[in-house]
Amino acid sequence: MLDKIIEGIYRGDHRSISRAISIVENEGDSENTRNLIRQIYQRTGNAHIVGITGPPGIGKSTMIGNICALLSERGKKVSVVAIDASSPFTGGSLLGNRIRMQESLTKYGVYMRSLANRGINGGLSRSIWDTVKILDAAGSDFIIVETVGAGQADLDVINLADTVIVVLGPGLGDEIQAIKAGIMEIGHVFVINKMDRQGAYIAMKDIEETLAMMPRGEWKPPVVGINSLTREGYDTLIESICKHRSFCETNREARLRKFRTELQMHIDDELRRKFQKDINGVLKDEGRLEEYLLRRIDPYSAAEEIVEEIA
Amino acid sequence: MSEERSSEHGKNQLSFKDRPIKILLAKPGIDGHDRGILVLAKAFRDAGMEVIYAGLLPTPEQVVETAINEDVDVVALSLLNGAHMTVFKKVADLMKERGVNDIAIVGGGTIPDADKPKLEKLGISGNYGPGTPISVIIDHVTKRAMEARKLKESGQ
Repeated sequence: MLDKIIEGIYRGDHRSISRAISIVENEGDSENTRNLIRQIYQRTGNAHIVGITGPPGIGKSTMIGNICALLSERGKKVSVVAIDASSPFTGGSLLGNRIRMQESLTKYGVYMRSLANRGINGGLSRSIWDTVKILDAAGSDFIIVETVGAGQADLDVINLADTVIVVLGPGLGDEIQAIKAGIMEIGHVFVINKMDRQGAYIAMKDIEETLAMMPRGEWKPPVVGINSLTREGYDTLIESICKHRSFCETNREARLRKFRTELQMHIDDELRRKFQKDINGVLKDEGRLEEYLLRRIDPYSAAEEIVEEIA
Repeated sequence: MSEERSSEHGKNQLSFKDRPIKILLAKPGIDGHDRGILVLAKAFRDAGMEVIYAGLLPTPEQVVETAINEDVDVVALSLLNGAHMTVFKKVADLMKERGVNDIAIVGGGTIPDADKPKLEKLGISGNYGPGTPISVIIDHVTKRAMEARKLKESGQ
């Protein structure tokens, strides 16, 4: 069955892509997922991954709709994955990104998938890494990943995306907000949306000044003002994305860093899996826990002892 | 959602039952009465489902394409304008055309009793009207979702 799905992915068939994403989303790193990724991995690496992050309600989804349209018009194949928050209480989720971009999706036949973060912090979902590979193998030129509406510290997207676009707007705070650590440090392109609103030019100036004060790498992040209703500024935005794509192609360091992060994640999982049974055994050993309760041994020493024993 | 994960190699991390049901809510056709569907969207979310709302005025084609792209378990259609026999049927027909048999379709809105058996025949079940307790709707959706999943598992 997997063969049929994989063959469908290579054809760009939406149903096969969908089913494959469901496998990686629902089954975690099951044997099915592993086989799927093993088989398609050779065909990946051609897509440019654009991560879009920013606070809730700033216009990320609407902007993605417009970017899809403009890139499609330039003959590029675009796919979109948008992540929304799951409720920590019920596990339920309202995936509302699609509604903002539906028009472009239909018009250009863009594949778009909504994922719930299912309790993972950091702005992404666990399955996003494999999802992106599936879309890559399906022949996408650009994969746009929208994070959960992000706070100042939801920065995981930097490990996934080639180009990170931070979307901000007027009214989010003064220049002190702009010099804080976190989200201001991860953008390759900064966008000020809602340029028709009051204070937009001041916000743009604040961001530009902040960036000017930051230590400069080879890439100097541009600040682009856009208006999503009139599509003003979008040509500059697309140009910035394409420019950064060319920049990435020569930047081996960044690709290495991304791969290292992903590998680290998988190694952590493998290690945990390998030793989980032993660890569970120890955690069930009441005699041992008793010692801890009686304050005979502190948690640091106990953990060291246990790991020493298992490994 | 329980956090019970299997550490065994090759086992599903989340058990089948704990996986959230994924549902698409849509009002295809010309109908702007969205109070009911928005109430349901929130109710389904609170029942632990992953809910996608297709927005106002999607075409049946858009609904089907979205259902396929999102690989939902259930599509829930709502109409209060009397066009259900045309539009719900169109959605069901398009699904069949695309060879999709593992996504359940349920309906609701203002649907005369006389039309309900006809919709059932098309595979569109539920067809609840105003005043139906939300728990009844959630139970029905859950039942249909589990059926759809069984088909997905066997067809995968």
